[in-house]
Amino acid sequence: MSAVVSRRIFGGTMLAGTGALAVRRMLSLGSVQDRRKPLSRVAILQEDSYDGPLDRTLMEGLRLFDLNLCGKSVLLKPNLVEYIPGAEVNTNPRLVGAAASAFLALGAKSVLVGEGPGHQRDTVLVLAEGGLQAELRERRIRFVDLNRDEIWKVPLQTSFTGLDCVSLPRTVLTSDFIVSMPKVKTHHWAGVTLSMKNLFGVVPGVAYGWPKNILHWKGIDRSILDINAAVPAHFVIADGIVGMEGNGPLHGSPRNLGRIVLADDPVAADFVCTRLMGLNPLRVKYLAQAAEFLGNGGPERIVHLGERLPSTAQPFAVLPEFAHLRL
Amino acid sequence: MSSSAVAFERQQSARRRLLAELRTRRLPRTGGWSHCGAQFGTEATSLALLALHSSPSGLPATKEDLAPLMARQLPNGLWPAVGDRTTGENFWATAMAVNTLMILGAAPATFAASLETLVRGRPLEAGWLVRLKFRLSDRQVRFDPTKYGWAWVPATLSWVVPTSMALITLERAKRQGLIGGGELQNRLRLGAEMLLDRACPEGGWNAGNAVVYGVSLRPHLDATGLALAALRFHHELPIVRNSVTWILTHIDCPSSYSLAWIILAASPYKDVRPDVSPAVDIARERLAALVADPSAVDDTSTIALAALALGLETGINPFELKV
Repeated sequence: MSAVVSRRIFGGTMLAGTGALAVRRMLSLGSVQDRRKPLSRVAILQEDSYDGPLDRTLMEGLRLFDLNLCGKSVLLKPNLVEYIPGAEVNTNPRLVGAAASAFLALGAKSVLVGEGPGHQRDTVLVLAEGGLQAELRERRIRFVDLNRDEIWKVPLQTSFTGLDCVSLPRTVLTSDFIVSMPKVKTHHWAGVTLSMKNLFGVVPGVAYGWPKNILHWKGIDRSILDINAAVPAHFVIADGIVGMEGNGPLHGSPRNLGRIVLADDPVAADFVCTRLMGLNPLRVKYLAQAAEFLGNGGPERIVHLGERLPSTAQPFAVLPEFAHLRL
Repeated sequence: MSSSAVAFERQQSARRRLLAELRTRRLPRTGGWSHCGAQFGTEATSLALLALHSSPSGLPATKEDLAPLMARQLPNGLWPAVGDRTTGENFWATAMAVNTLMILGAAPATFAASLETLVRGRPLEAGWLVRLKFRLSDRQVRFDPTKYGWAWVPATLSWVVPTSMALITLERAKRQGLIGGGELQNRLRLGAEMLLDRACPEGGWNAGNAVVYGVSLRPHLDATGLALAALRFHHELPIVRNSVTWILTHIDCPSSYSLAWIILAASPYKDVRPDVSPAVDIARERLAALVADPSAVDDTSTIALAALALGLETGINPFELKV
């Protein structure tokens, strides 16, 4: 290992550890509230292809959680960035469609799909080219462009970015049950993009622009923490059937992982997904910090429903800047 | 009736339906228009006003028509993107509003402060410390931070879409004799240089990151459209020519929003490019079909943009700067 890489690994690990220590201090001072539940539940489902029995697999997985959705409005938040032919950039439309149908079958009052892409202003184009428009039309599910929804200004629960408040879409703030549906990918700024980073998409472009530059400028890790504290996802369905490694989130290589990860805690979901990627979640700065107050990262507080994490995993390729994430 | 006359009538019929839909979507209490729902949107209102009032065959805008837009102007002349005056300043929304007011003949005194604030409004790269950061440590995105334009909102970096709209607005104001001076010239020059610097290598623009980690990112249709509209004076430059070529290869686009931008952006290049007119004719036919049922289009801005794109034969192009 070269001296430069080992310095990077040391530096990156220190950075994540220091961030976690800072959160512990905030907890002790009472400036951050501990929201972790006693136990979080995760289910790793095997599914090798999008052409398989996705509806059935997903329904069987969701039943493991015994969710009470009666009378609830559900918002599915997939990860839609832009359409690049042949690249696994977005949450697969078939998985989104299967999730919508499953939640309706489980008693939800309504199911909406909503997203606000960060760079591409033409959300309809992303939907149409990526196949989600046709999928939702066939299943009669409505889509909301979160970039152009009505917005309400809400105070932030935490102050990692230093911002006092954030404008958020009405649809997000009035939904009873928010489901983050990320694509399992590496990310050239954040290391990994999973259910927590996916919530960048609820920040409306109409208020902040394309891209939502204020979030990058205030720090991606800090913004992820503030947004997830303000808008906690109630459930996660992570698309790891085919993920992306290397120079994600747009120009990496497809990586067959053959898994869908369900969880009732975004932090637990992201810890498990990161381990499935063969990477160390405690070295992802925002994950290490989130596990101190937002959700559970430690294996002792995560119950696996069904398949357990494999003992070894072939690590996802990462950019040299993120070499320290490898287990 | 010839096939082109039939096509023209089909497009005008679609446009009339779009304008009728716009009238039904006018916000009942506050006036103006929303993107979706009941919250005032500066962009949606500006585009709707232009679509309804910029055609010579339509009714001219009255002071009352413009009142909902004027009511949201902040004391420093800027506009928020949405909602009331508490939701924050936005340079894109401001440039869009001022361009609309100029075209619809509002009294210049009502937006004089807005023009001044636009000229003074600088993105973060204008500061030497931020430029130093990009030179020394933050080097994954290839761009020249000394060439800057306009940000979406204060205290952020400049991006292609707000820069393009600010250039269109300020250039129009300059030509109308509403503003001048060395600082304006400097900003117009820097803004154009910034757009050229951030163009995708093969042509076209996206939000503003053309090359990241050595990889060329794809252009976007609406950003390319706006940048081309702003750079019409530079039509002879290879990157502008390539961008026109790129946008004309996307007239099969399945989205009415981007298709409208293609038409509005490419049309001003008709007199310097023989391939523009035939492509725009096809795009207009396609757009008329895509918006056949305007009530199915969620975003009011898209309806207004489509009406403007289908009305070019008889109306004006609010994004065109006559050479």
